[in-house]
Amino acid sequence: MKKNDEFYVSYIDRSLGPKTKTTLKRFSIIALATIVIGALLFSFFQKPFKNSTFELTSATNITGTYYEKPYPMLRVEVAENTFKNILLLGFGKSSANPYLEKLQKEVKDLNGKNVSIEGNLIYYNGKTLIQITDDEKVILESSSKKRLPEKEVISKMTLTGEIIDPKCYFGVMKPGKGKIHRSCAVRCVSGGIPPVLATTDKNNISEYFLITDLNGKPINKDILEYIGKPSEITGIVEKMEDWSIIKIQVSDIRELDKKSSIY
Amino acid sequence: MGLNYQLVLWNNHKKTYDKLIVLGMLLYIILFAVVTLVFNSETSIETLVIRAFGSLAIIMLHIILVIGPLARLNSAFLPILYNRRHLGVSMFIAAFIHGGFSMFQFHALGDVNPIYSIFISNMDYGSLTDFPFQVLGFLALLILFVMASTSHDFFLGNLSAKTWKRLHMMVYAAYALIIAHVFLGAFQQETSPFTIGILVFGFILVSSLHLITAFKEGHIDTAKTEEKEGWLKVCDISEIEEDRAKIFTVEKERIAIFKYDGKLSAIHNVCKHQGGPLGEGKIIDGCITCPWHGYQYLPANGQSPPPFTEKVATYELKLDGKTVYINPKAFEEGTEVNPCKI
Ligand code: HEM
Ligand code: FES
Repeated sequence: MKKNDEFYVSYIDRSLGPKTKTTLKRFSIIALATIVIGALLFSFFQKPFKNSTFELTSATNITGTYYEKPYPMLRVEVAENTFKNILLLGFGKSSANPYLEKLQKEVKDLNGKNVSIEGNLIYYNGKTLIQITDDEKVILESSSKKRLPEKEVISKMTLTGEIIDPKCYFGVMKPGKGKIHRSCAVRCVSGGIPPVLATTDKNNISEYFLITDLNGKPINKDILEYIGKPSEITGIVEKMEDWSIIKIQVSDIRELDKKSSIY
Repeated sequence: MGLNYQLVLWNNHKKTYDKLIVLGMLLYIILFAVVTLVFNSETSIETLVIRAFGSLAIIMLHIILVIGPLARLNSAFLPILYNRRHLGVSMFIAAFIHGGFSMFQFHALGDVNPIYSIFISNMDYGSLTDFPFQVLGFLALLILFVMASTSHDFFLGNLSAKTWKRLHMMVYAAYALIIAHVFLGAFQQETSPFTIGILVFGFILVSSLHLITAFKEGHIDTAKTEEKEGWLKVCDISEIEEDRAKIFTVEKERIAIFKYDGKLSAIHNVCKHQGGPLGEGKIIDGCITCPWHGYQYLPANGQSPPPFTEKVATYELKLDGKTVYINPKAFEEGTEVNPCKI
């Protein structure tokens, strides 16, 4: 041990000698410098975030045609004869279904009926989703049946991408994909949020596929172990206006041993 | 030890110390937020909070971990050790904000209990790169919680210095868990040579300081000695400074042999408060004074002067010419032993 004749005792006045004082000052300065350098490095070298948005504090009212297959959505006319299909989600990590139940009981079959919903919008890269927080804010506007979006079968395809939970990916969380976010995405899909396959091609154009089983039924719990990892998926691709759908067999998902390349 | 007197002065130094801690933490959070908002304004508030407090906590942990070995290498650092618990509790608060926000963000409002969710959402326990890194952070946070909540002197009285020390040695387990938490977690996705570099540097600094200290103290413990009819040779009397001690190790127990007022006395080296090395202390007002927080013991009987009640073991010494010998058999804690006259 280095010799130091000074002996500091907290309760003895003036026992803090000049050598000890200098050491303490130096230590404090180095510690504060470490704090500053640490803050600069950890903050500056974060990867850029996407410009996805979640309107947590403001509510928006949307009106459109409700349908439940493959997942609950609202088909909203945004301009004449141009439709946007808005994915409906529940509060937190949950499905929209419990929030629709009340109205569904009253109306029997809500499919094709005009419904207005007030909730928080989530949007990114052309896709819009809405979080419903209260079943009182789901209102039947008219009982006359409207046309549902048409599905067009494209072909059987093998796609590379990552299975994400669309709620976080399209706005609630940053980053809403990959390893960091994985257990959250698992919770969301497990809670009833539809799994989505996100792909990005060479030109950085992304496409999003709602994932269903071969019969077009929702998949949730069965797909959990594949979420948030780069994978290769083979299935039948359909186009449904502004969304794509891929019908798969969970056993046809192949994990890829590489870095996530979705964007 | 005047009790009131002690409280007043303790508060004065403590205040400067605490002000520095708060200033440092505020500085970190503000800098982190400003840089992020300027260069990466699309961030979300939750991510900002999670990242700012997580990285603050790990930097504070490094500062805490270098204080121990620094104070053992140079006693001028002792006053920092003296109030390290406040740094520890503040670090826990930063880690708790990080962990709490993460737990809420990633696991709450779902279909299972958030804590259960940490363990079962990602089941790739067999993979390295996909390992459920949040579990590691959670376990580390639990350790830090136990440490922070038992850091009060109240627990020292109720837990025995040894148990308390063992408990607080768990900080190394927590450190290992946190390093794994970051390298298997955030660094798998947010890879930057600079942030990885700063933590690698920190790890090397912390471990080399500990190794150097262990190596230096190892010398004390392996010094050879001669035995004569049950008495062990310690050293020449001139090797002990006035009012100071020499530390001598018998069968892994360290003993402090003090020289003062033309006398020699030996007591067990471990302070009853937090296990501070009494042999690095000094005789003040006739009492052996611990270098860490100033607990005092009478050299002749190893007892703290009233109203305090701490007691340490004492030993018998004898002189043969100028050579000091010790009887390695410890007496019961607090046993009066006649000091050896020089
Ligand atoms: C319940 C306990 C914990 C949970 C759930 C947790 C979760 C997380 C998550 C999700 C990330 C990635 C965040 C991102 O980069 O967006 C992360 C990163 C990190 N964690 Fe933890 N953590 C916990 C405890 C701790 C503790 C106790 C420490 C250290 C004292 C710590 C230190 C860090 C650091 C330094 C990072 C990397 C920087 C950052 O991104 O914040 N974590 N943690
Ligand atoms: S360890 Fe605290 S006074 Fe000795």
